[in-house]
Amino acid sequence: MFLLRWMWANLRNEVLVLPSRILALAWVVAVLLLPLAFPDAYVLRIATFACLFAIFAASWDLLAGYTGQVSFGHALFFGAGAYASALLSLRLGLSPWFTVWIGAAVATVFGAVVGFLCQRLRGAYLSLATLAFPLIALGLLFAFPDFSGGELGVSGLRRLAASATGNYYVAALSMLAIVFGLWLLADSKFGIVLHAIRDDEVAARASGINTPRYKLAVFALSAAAAGFAGALFAHYLRIAGPSTLEVALSFQVVIWGIFGGAATIYGPVAAVFILYPLTEWLGSYGAFGELRLLAFAVIVLLVLLFMPRGLAPWVRDKVESQCPRCKQRNRAWRSVCRLCNAPLRLGAA
Amino acid sequence: MIQDILVTGLVNGGVYALLAIGFSLIFGVARIVNIAHTAFYMLAAYSFYTLLVRAEMGFALAGIVSVAAVVALSVLCYKLVIEPVREHESAVLIATIALALIFQELMLLAYGGNYLGIPSTLEGVLILFGVSIPYQRLLILAVAAAMLAATWFLLYRTRLGLAIRATANDLEVANLMGMNVERVAMATVGISVALAAVAGVVVAPVFVVDPFMWLSPLVTMLAIVVLGGLGSLKGSLIGALIIGYVEAITVFALPAGAFLKGAVALTIMVVVLLARPEGLFGVAFEEER
Amino acid sequence: MLRTLLAAAAAAAIAGGAQAQTVKIAILGPMAFVQGENHWAGAEMARDEINKAGGINVGGKRVQIELIRADTNEIQSVPDATNAIERVITRDKVDFLVGGFRSEAVLAMQEVAADNKKLFLGAGAAHPQLGAKVEKDYNRFKYWFRVTPLHVGDLVKASFAVLGVAAAQFRQERKGATPKVAIIAEKAIWTEGIVKAAQANFPKMKLDLVGLWQPSAVATDVSAELAGIKRSGADLVFTVLSGPVGIVVGRQMGEQQLAAVAVGINVEAQKDEFWQATAGKAQFVSTLETVSEVEMTPKTVPFYNAFRARFKKGPTYNAAGAYDALHLLKEAIEKAGTTDTEKLIPVLEKTIFTGVGGVIEFDKRHDLIFGPGRVTGLAIQWQDGHKIPFWPAGVKGIKPFKLPAP
Repeated sequence: MFLLRWMWANLRNEVLVLPSRILALAWVVAVLLLPLAFPDAYVLRIATFACLFAIFAASWDLLAGYTGQVSFGHALFFGAGAYASALLSLRLGLSPWFTVWIGAAVATVFGAVVGFLCQRLRGAYLSLATLAFPLIALGLLFAFPDFSGGELGVSGLRRLAASATGNYYVAALSMLAIVFGLWLLADSKFGIVLHAIRDDEVAARASGINTPRYKLAVFALSAAAAGFAGALFAHYLRIAGPSTLEVALSFQVVIWGIFGGAATIYGPVAAVFILYPLTEWLGSYGAFGELRLLAFAVIVLLVLLFMPRGLAPWVRDKVESQCPRCKQRNRAWRSVCRLCNAPLRLGAA
Repeated sequence: MIQDILVTGLVNGGVYALLAIGFSLIFGVARIVNIAHTAFYMLAAYSFYTLLVRAEMGFALAGIVSVAAVVALSVLCYKLVIEPVREHESAVLIATIALALIFQELMLLAYGGNYLGIPSTLEGVLILFGVSIPYQRLLILAVAAAMLAATWFLLYRTRLGLAIRATANDLEVANLMGMNVERVAMATVGISVALAAVAGVVVAPVFVVDPFMWLSPLVTMLAIVVLGGLGSLKGSLIGALIIGYVEAITVFALPAGAFLKGAVALTIMVVVLLARPEGLFGVAFEEER
Repeated sequence: MLRTLLAAAAAAAIAGGAQAQTVKIAILGPMAFVQGENHWAGAEMARDEINKAGGINVGGKRVQIELIRADTNEIQSVPDATNAIERVITRDKVDFLVGGFRSEAVLAMQEVAADNKKLFLGAGAAHPQLGAKVEKDYNRFKYWFRVTPLHVGDLVKASFAVLGVAAAQFRQERKGATPKVAIIAEKAIWTEGIVKAAQANFPKMKLDLVGLWQPSAVATDVSAELAGIKRSGADLVFTVLSGPVGIVVGRQMGEQQLAAVAVGINVEAQKDEFWQATAGKAQFVSTLETVSEVEMTPKTVPFYNAFRARFKKGPTYNAAGAYDALHLLKEAIEKAGTTDTEKLIPVLEKTIFTGVGGVIEFDKRHDLIFGPGRVTGLAIQWQDGHKIPFWPAGVKGIKPFKLPAP
């Protein structure tokens, strides 16, 4: 009873006071209830992919948005997770419930190695060096076809759950857990340090922050989340193929991340949940299907012209405003701050 | 075998150099990460193909019209798409990716996923030390040299070049000094896309024209420019030769591993970056704040 | 006004009535590309022929065919392909699936078809793994049949036979000299067996192997590889290529004026557009082919003529495959007297059906049975801009293989 009251109080005072938090809550409820409303396998498949790509996009955002290490080769971690989990479960017969974690662990190692190698690189140099890694990995996959399955990849994998609904919940719950985990992390002291590193690395170092260690940690962490998404993806599709390492996938995640709004975590997630079903929906219209990528690119371009900082920050600025005194966020239509009663607009005291 | 490596590496390095100069200019000098750069190269190739093969215009005219049209298009794209978001670096980045995808899909719609072949401007081969070099590749070598010289002249011997270098060094100060930085940026875009379009007209005949042809040179180009150092013309020339030779050596030393030539070239790039984070001829900037 | 309304209502009634009596078939392919275009064109042709002749006779009832066009986008994205197949199954409620091209994507689509227990007739992917899955887990994957092409293991036999023809021609013209053969095979799983078999068999075939080059399937430049082949003094180049690198090899061999002739598998060289794509430099390039305009069966030439008349260009094996798949389905349904997938599978397994490219009979992997009297494929050579079939001997329309003057 006490717990319920506490929850209700929290809900009323912390969540329902801000439109963005209401939206987030509505989205979580929608994600959890989707199979009840649409039990159809096709909808669930699209939603499952959206969840997996949302993890991937959020992981990219942690690295690129928060520390400014704009990775052009994020597919490396996705592919590493997919292949590692696929190979272990197929060759050693291990349960996929176990190997997805190994996939994430392998991706973490990849992330640490790439992060270590790229430690001295900044800006465009870093982006372009990271672009090279998945392509080198692709070359190696083809060099050892007995191990990797060459152009076909590793197929015939077991699924995590038998039914479409079960698979959806595996993806959806993982997505919610990881995205909220990343969001909490990014909102913590750790996240503030990352902001500091991105905005002024020299000043951060001068304040006694071991910036290389932070950057490396973020590389590994981001790779871990991407690898987990990749492993789930492989077991859902039942194949881990070379397409998980392609440049196109790396570019796709950059588009999602920046379109949604970098350094927000929720922005890229929102972008995936909007863009992925949208392109699929466009693709389902017979002859129009061939236009899907064109429509996708045009939409991205147009939205960007009006919201250069990305979709989520733009929406947030429309519906909320920041209190000039205590820096807390308020509904845009409030005249005084909900916490410190400072006037939010000039002449509105 | 040695003579094969020497000649093949040089000729392919020339092809890469021609592709890389324009990229180096816009990337290093104007500091725009223009993913769509090779998409303009693709557009020039398609336009050249259409005018030459379908409209039967003749090499010179088709080439000139293609380059002019693509440059005009690039300036238009810059005005409409890049300039409004110029302040947001990340927005510029995906705007160029989106542009490249749009061009790719438009070509896919207009020409289908077919592979198209452009006839060689010059037919025939030169036999040098028992290695046959098609005249087209010699033409590419010559055009690459001419373009390098022209770009160098433009950057270091003209007022426009001075302006481009000044804005590259410090945009705000250049603006305060009364320069029209917008126009300078536009000129830079125009020049670099012109180089890409010339490459499309001259290089595309040795390759195959298809809607995805921009992706693989893009990666090679990025590797060359990063290897040589951003903004250094000398760097991109030497980077191109290094990549050309590394690929040739890979193929000749390990014929059954020829598929690895791209991966080996990228590994070399990563190794160079580890040793010299600013590339071979790049300037080591003070830590920017 | 009233009349138009009535006409519309009548039309709707007919359409509604017809809808209850259609067999829905999804055509899955990369519709923005040549492969998908051909899948669709071949299927449209078969549909119109069958529907015009009164449809399919399902246990005494006449049923029309309705095609659903599904763009799998498989060349660009594997998940898109699985979304497309799931959509046609659960949304459009199709009865049968036909198509597919990229093996990585078809493997993933095969899983969706198996999940939903839908018959999936492959008309494009050549990888042996697809059939191996049927043998290994019959109950799950029995829904997959490969109508075209032959799987790679059989292509090896055919390609060696063709290489033998070229070598014999060479010995005859060059007074018994042993031909030097260079292998250029794209680096891929499917080429591994062929390369190993070639290395083992060339001494027996009295061929002198001078080297193996393995570029990437998507390489855009093979000038270094070709310089190496030229240095090796090869007379024949045994090609094992499926990707766009096939065009590059064809073109650059001409450009660098290699004296050697390309023989083997070069999937791009099967397309009519190949000559243009190589800017006319692919003289004497030859390749195995699934169908061509020679009388492999009585159906071949009429199919070619009808296709050309309707689409103003020649069909690829994807078109022939989709066309055969529809006619094969019709025959099986009429034999079984039902559209029930479970009952159709045993019928299909026993069917011997004369298609466009040969006589179709399935083995235990649901792959085509290879050999004379069934499906052999054929071989063509590009001569002055025309595809000239030169193998197997004894088929009407076969012409001689040519070597360049020494």
